[in-house]
Amino acid sequence: MSGRLSGVATVFRRELATVVRTPGYGVLAVGLLVALGGLLAAGGGGATGFVPAVVDLLLPTEALVPLVAVVLGYRALLTDAASGELAVIRTYPVRVGEYVTGVLLARTVALVAVVGVPYAAIGVVVWLTAAPDTGIFATHAGVDSPLLYVRFLAFVLLLGAAYVSLAAAVSALAASRRSAIALGSLALVAGVLGGDLVLLRSLAAGASPTTVPSAIALAPNGAFRGLVFEHVIGVAFAPEGGFVSTVRAVGSLVGWTLLGAVVAGATLAWGRRVDAAIERVRREIGS
Amino acid sequence: MTRFDPYGDPSLPVRLALAALLLVGAAATAGAFVADPESAAPSPVAYDDVVELGLSSETDALMAGSATIPRTQVFYSQLQYVVGYNGVESFAATFDDDRTERQFGYPVVAYVETFDDARPGTTETGLFAAELAGEWTPAPEAAYVVGSDARSPAGETVVPFRERDAAEAFAADHGGRVVGWEAVRGGSFDTDSAAAVRGMAPERWAAADDRVAAAERRADRPVSVVVGEDAPTVEAALAAAPANTTVVVPPGTYEETLTVNESVTIAGDDARVSGDGNGSVITVRARDVAITGVDIDGSGNQTRDPEAAREGRDRDDGAWDTNIQLGYGHGDAGIRAIDAPGLFVDDVTIEANASGLLLREGSRAVVRDLRVDGTDEWQDGFMGVTGMGSRVTVTDSAFSGGRDGIYLHRADGSVVRNSAFADNRYGVHLMYTGDALIADNAFRDELFGGVTVMTRPSGNAIVGNDVRDSGAGIQASGTRAYIGYNTLVGNELGFSTSSRGSLYERNVAANNELGARATTVVPSSRIVENDFVANADHAAAGAGALRVWADGDRGNYWEGANVGTHEPGERAYRPTSPVDGALHREVAVVAVRESPAVALLDRLRGTVPGARSGSIIDPAPATEPYSPERVAAALDPDAGPVRADWRPRFGGGDDDGNADTMTTRARNATSGVADA
Repeated sequence: MSGRLSGVATVFRRELATVVRTPGYGVLAVGLLVALGGLLAAGGGGATGFVPAVVDLLLPTEALVPLVAVVLGYRALLTDAASGELAVIRTYPVRVGEYVTGVLLARTVALVAVVGVPYAAIGVVVWLTAAPDTGIFATHAGVDSPLLYVRFLAFVLLLGAAYVSLAAAVSALAASRRSAIALGSLALVAGVLGGDLVLLRSLAAGASPTTVPSAIALAPNGAFRGLVFEHVIGVAFAPEGGFVSTVRAVGSLVGWTLLGAVVAGATLAWGRRVDAAIERVRREIGS
Repeated sequence: MTRFDPYGDPSLPVRLALAALLLVGAAATAGAFVADPESAAPSPVAYDDVVELGLSSETDALMAGSATIPRTQVFYSQLQYVVGYNGVESFAATFDDDRTERQFGYPVVAYVETFDDARPGTTETGLFAAELAGEWTPAPEAAYVVGSDARSPAGETVVPFRERDAAEAFAADHGGRVVGWEAVRGGSFDTDSAAAVRGMAPERWAAADDRVAAAERRADRPVSVVVGEDAPTVEAALAAAPANTTVVVPPGTYEETLTVNESVTIAGDDARVSGDGNGSVITVRARDVAITGVDIDGSGNQTRDPEAAREGRDRDDGAWDTNIQLGYGHGDAGIRAIDAPGLFVDDVTIEANASGLLLREGSRAVVRDLRVDGTDEWQDGFMGVTGMGSRVTVTDSAFSGGRDGIYLHRADGSVVRNSAFADNRYGVHLMYTGDALIADNAFRDELFGGVTVMTRPSGNAIVGNDVRDSGAGIQASGTRAYIGYNTLVGNELGFSTSSRGSLYERNVAANNELGARATTVVPSSRIVENDFVANADHAAAGAGALRVWADGDRGNYWEGANVGTHEPGERAYRPTSPVDGALHREVAVVAVRESPAVALLDRLRGTVPGARSGSIIDPAPATEPYSPERVAAALDPDAGPVRADWRPRFGGGDDDGNADTMTTRARNATSGVADA
C-alpha cells in the first residue's frame, strides 16, 4: 500500500473506531428508524407499494437526512483540533488532505450505517407487506418495483454525503463545540430552506421559469427532490420527465460534497496562518 | 465473536465479505438505474378477474342474445388492478380525458380481444356478435374495423382483429374500413356518456307525461254496462261488456275474483273488490285495460311460485334469468297483468297480502295515484309493484309496508316519479333495468334502502329524490348512471358510488351516519358538487385505489373542510383521513391538521393516486354549499321532503346534454356568480 493510501486508511480506521465507540449514533439510527416507521404508518403509502411510500417519505427525508448528516459531521474535525490531537497527528507523515479524506470517508460510512440501514429496513418492510387492497381481482405491480426504492436510497445517501461533508467543513471552521453547533444548525437551515428561498426570490424578481430545471439543481435539497421526481416518482407517469437536469443534479450533490472536503482541508491547512495573519493585522491596528 | 478492531488487518474472509458487500451495493445501485421498471409487460389475465369499466355487459340486449362487446384489458403504470374496458372505443375515449392518466398513470400494456377465428357477425338488431370467444392481442399490433354496421348497445363499436386480412374480410361483409391502433386511439366515437343520461332525464319525464296522457285518452270510453243495473256482478258485467267500453262499478263492496279478457275500462266509484284470499283479485289478460277508482283487498298471500320456477328450470329455454322471472312473476296480487300491454291503473288502493300490482310478459303499464298498503313485516308480503319484463310508468302514488315498493326486472325505460314510499324493505329496486328515471320521490323509514339498483344496467337516472331515516339512501350499481339532485337525510348511508362511469352531482347528504361510500375498486365516476353536512362521517372508501372526487377545480362541499386559518378552498380535503374527517366535529383538530408532520405527509399525497389505496381526496373543496336551500331544509327537523328544482336547470330536455354549459348554468342558478 502506498504511503498516501496508508495514511488515509489509518485515519479512516481511527475515525471509524471513534464512530463505533459513540453509542449516540446507534440511538440516532434507531430514532430515524422509528421516525420513518411512524411516517410510513401514518402516511399509508407503504401499504400498497414503493412509489407511494417514497411519496410519503420524500419531504420528511429532506429534513431528516440533513439533520442526521450534520449530527454526524459537525464535530468530525473539531474534536481533534480542540484536543490537540490533530497537532500530534501532524507530527506523523500524514498530510492534511489524507487526514480530511480519511475522516470524511469514515463519517460517510457512518452515514451509510445510520441512514442507509433504517431506510433499507423500511424498504424491506414495504417489500414484505405491500399488497393490493383486495385479492378478488387480478393485480399487477405496474411500474412499482424495488429498483425504484434502491434509486431513492442512492439519492438519500448522496444527499446525506453532501451534508456530512458540509458539516465537516463547518467543524473545521468552528472554534468551539458551541460554535460548531451554531454553525452546523445554520448550515442545516441554509441547506434545507436556503436554496429554495433563493430560487423563490429569483423567480419573484423576474427570473424566467425556464431556468428552474438547472437552478433547482444547484442547492442540495433541490437537486435531491428533482432527482427523486425524475427517476422514482415520475416513472409512474407517462414518460416525459424534465423535473431536473440529472447530470447537473448529481454533479451538484457531488460538488457540494467535494466543496465541503476542500473547505475543511483548506481550513485545517491554512487556518493557522490565516489566524496568525488576522492576529497580526489586529495587533497592528491596535498598536 | 471477535471484537471490532479497526487497527488490525481484517482476516481474508472478512475482507472478501466486505468487498462482496461493496460490489453488491454498487451493482444493485447501478442496476437500479440501468433496468427499466416497466420492461416486463404482464401477460393477459382471465377477463373475469379484471375490474370492468366501459359499457355494461349486463344490458337486456346483450344478456338475452348472442351479442357481445369487443373487450380490452389494460395494465396501468400506477394501478395495481387490471382494468377491463367493454368496448375498444371506451378505452380509446380515455385518451381524450387526462383524468384517467392522472388517476391510473399511463397504460404499460393493453390487450384487445381479436375475433379472427371467432366467426364474428351481427345480430338481427345490428349488435356485434361472435360465435366463439376472441383472443388477446396487444393493442398496437391489432387491425381495427371502424364504421361498420356492427354496433354496441351504446352506439358505434370498433371490431379488432389480429390479422389485417381477417379485418378486411369483416369489412367486406359489414362495411367500414380497417385502421391501425393509432387511428383508433386518436379517434372519437359516437357513444353515450353519463352526462348524456343527465340530458335525457327531462325527456324521460316528458315521455312519462305523454304515456299518462295517452293512457287517459285510452281509458275514456263510452259506458256499456253499470254493475247492479245492467248486470248483477262485476264478473257478469265484464262478460257482457264489449271491447272499448266502460264498466261502471257503483259504491259498494263486491266479493269477487275477476278476470278481464277484453280491452275495457273498469270505472269504480268508491267501490271495493274483495277477493277470497286465494290467488289474485283481478287478473288482466287483454291489452289497454284501465282500472280506476277501485279499492282492492283479499288476495292470496303467496309471494312466489316455486313450482313455476322449477318448471322453468327444467324446460331450460335458455333465458338467463328464468328462475327469477318465473318465481317472482307468479305470486298473488291485487291486480295481475299477464301479456297485457297498455294497462292503466288510476286512483286505486290495494291492501296487499303479497304483491299489489304484478306485471308480467310485456305488460307495459301506466300507474297513477295508486296506493298500496303492504304487510307490516316485509318477509310476509311482496312488492307494491312487481314488474317482470314490463315497462312501468308510476306517478303520484304511495307505497307502504311489504317487501319492495316497486321491484322492476328487465323493465328498461321505466319511470317512477312523484311518489311516496315508507316502511318497505327497499323503496325502488331495479334488476337488469336500464334507461329508467327515478325522480322526485320521497322515501321514509326504508329498512334496507330508498333506491337500489342491482346487476349492471346502463343509463339510469336517479334525480331529485328525498330519502330519510332509512338503511341507505341510494345504492345504484351499473354504468353510465346519473345520480343528481337527491337529498339524503338521517340514513345509515347516504349514497354509495357503486355505478361505474357515472356522474354523481348536486346531492345533499346530511345527518347520515355515513354520507357516502366509495365502493368500486377502480374509480371511474365523477363525484362533484355534492354537499356533505352534519354526517357522523362524511365519506368512507372500500378497497381500491385513491379516489379523486373533483372535476378540475370543481369539488364538493364538505362541512368542516374550511375550518381553520387557511383561505377557504385552498387545501385539499380527505374525508377518509382521521384528521380531516373530524374537522366538522372537533375544531381542535385544526391544530393537528396544521402540524408539520401532517402537512409534509399530505402535501404530495395525491401524486400517484392509482398506487394508493382506500381513501378519498377532494383537491378543491367548495367554500359554500352548492345547494344551500336544500341543505337548510335537510337540517330543519320540521321541514318535509325537499323538492330539488332540477328540470329547468337541465334545459327542459331540449338540449343535447353538454356537460359544461349545463353545469355552469346550474352553478349560476344557485350562487348567482358568473364564471370568470
